[in-house]
Amino acid sequence: MTGGNQYVVAAYAVIWFLVLAYVVMLGARTARVGRQVEAITRMLDRKAAESDTPEGDDG
Amino acid sequence: MSTAVNRPRWTRQLAGLIRKDLRLELRTKETVVAMVLFAIVTLTIMQFGFGTRDDDLTRFTGGLMWVTLAFTAVLGVGRSYVAEREQRVLDGILVSPVPRIVLLAAKAIAIVIYMTITELVVIPVVGIFFVKGPYWDSIGWIALVALIANVCIALSGTLFSGLALFTRARDLILPVLFLPALVPVIIAGAGATHAVVGGPHDMSEYRGYCLFLVGYAILFLLVCIATYDAVFDD
Amino acid sequence: MPSSTTDHASRRVIGARAALIWGVIATVLVTVASVGVFLVAPEDADQGAIQRIFYFHVAIALVSLVAFAVACVAGILFLRTRKLRWDDVSVTAVRIGILFSVLVIITGSIWAKASWGTWWVWADPRLVTYLIVVLIYAAYFVLRSSVDDDRRLRFSAIYAVVGFVSVPLSFYSVRVAQSFVHPVVFTSGGANMPNSMLIWFLISLAAMLALFIALLEVELVGRRTERALRALTLRLESS
Repeated sequence: MTGGNQYVVAAYAVIWFLVLAYVVMLGARTARVGRQVEAITRMLDRKAAESDTPEGDDG
Repeated sequence: MSTAVNRPRWTRQLAGLIRKDLRLELRTKETVVAMVLFAIVTLTIMQFGFGTRDDDLTRFTGGLMWVTLAFTAVLGVGRSYVAEREQRVLDGILVSPVPRIVLLAAKAIAIVIYMTITELVVIPVVGIFFVKGPYWDSIGWIALVALIANVCIALSGTLFSGLALFTRARDLILPVLFLPALVPVIIAGAGATHAVVGGPHDMSEYRGYCLFLVGYAILFLLVCIATYDAVFDD
Repeated sequence: MPSSTTDHASRRVIGARAALIWGVIATVLVTVASVGVFLVAPEDADQGAIQRIFYFHVAIALVSLVAFAVACVAGILFLRTRKLRWDDVSVTAVRIGILFSVLVIITGSIWAKASWGTWWVWADPRLVTYLIVVLIYAAYFVLRSSVDDDRRLRFSAIYAVVGFVSVPLSFYSVRVAQSFVHPVVFTSGGANMPNSMLIWFLISLAAMLALFIALLEVELVGRRTERALRALTLRLESS
């Protein structure tokens, strides 16, 4: 009995594990997107700071 | 101009394309000779590859023949567009008003011819190398299966070599694309051959496999007609 | 400067809410199915506990075919409309389809070990067919990565269609070959399942279907977001 159950548990464990691994991979992609958003925000801040400096202002 | 006008244009185009390919091949005989030699070497390797001292591989005849034909087909199909590529003729053909389907048909017919010539050698050689017992009476049946399978190989092969044409590692990609799709053909070919040689001598089995191959050819013909244009679009 | 319009536009483009809803549905169904299969479903008289593998094994097998069908249809739609969203659906469906097919092979192999003592049996038609299916669709990614940009999406769509035609051909040829050698049907849990088992199979099927849709939606959100971000980065760099 326990022998058979071992295999069933193994099978379902594999399913859960691989699906979870896939979800983790998707999560890593989201993290990468988040980093890109931060980079863009910094870029925007930099541009805003540059256009605020008194140099090259129009009269 | 008088008699030529009566035939529809596409037959003329088709005939012209086939003639071009065959004339090129007849001049060099590269492809067919290479295919035949490759097949014979592969059969030889098979005997040793089995690792046994077994002298009688009769029951494996179907498998041995069709594995060999599968890899030979990859070789032959891979040569489909080589002539055009090397002489940059492909762009010329694509720009011309030849319907893509005609191009597909020409290439496919060429492959059928090459495979048939190869099998003219392979089928007897397999009998000589591996079959201990009756074989030559069943050759007709084997030839029939091979002919149908050649159509299957030609249709799927032309499509995949068209795709592979535009990839970076062309010669590597083609087998990866082509062989999985060829598996059903090999299963059926080997099964049908096994049914008449070295196997149970069951004609209903043989018929079943042949019908399957016909179905395969029809399905791939439809897929090719539907998608071949998109391969060469621009 | 515009905030409300971009929010509304991005919500429409990214479509994160659908992903969230399906994620919840999938989690609930998969949990219910798992618990049910282990604790509630009756034990099979012939095979014992091992038979429980089939609930998810067969459900995942069927849904992987659904995935490849979705990829095929999306491929056709892409070739017709050339809209990027259809390529998104197609490539994502193929990826999930491969994941599920690999799961079919692993769970089938475990079943084979449990029943026959070996990790692989050529006599199991489902195991063999899904091996071929994985090979067919792994080639999809090989093709996709070796074609240059102008043709990549088009060729992927073509292959998604061709691959899907190869699937029933593979199934049928393997089955025909098996039937001549092994008239015994290897797969358990056929249509003669008692209702007490059938209901848990159907729940498993629904769970795997929901899982497929959820994974699909989540990955689509990711792709759309990445694309929007790339466009944004380009605009910023050029301004």
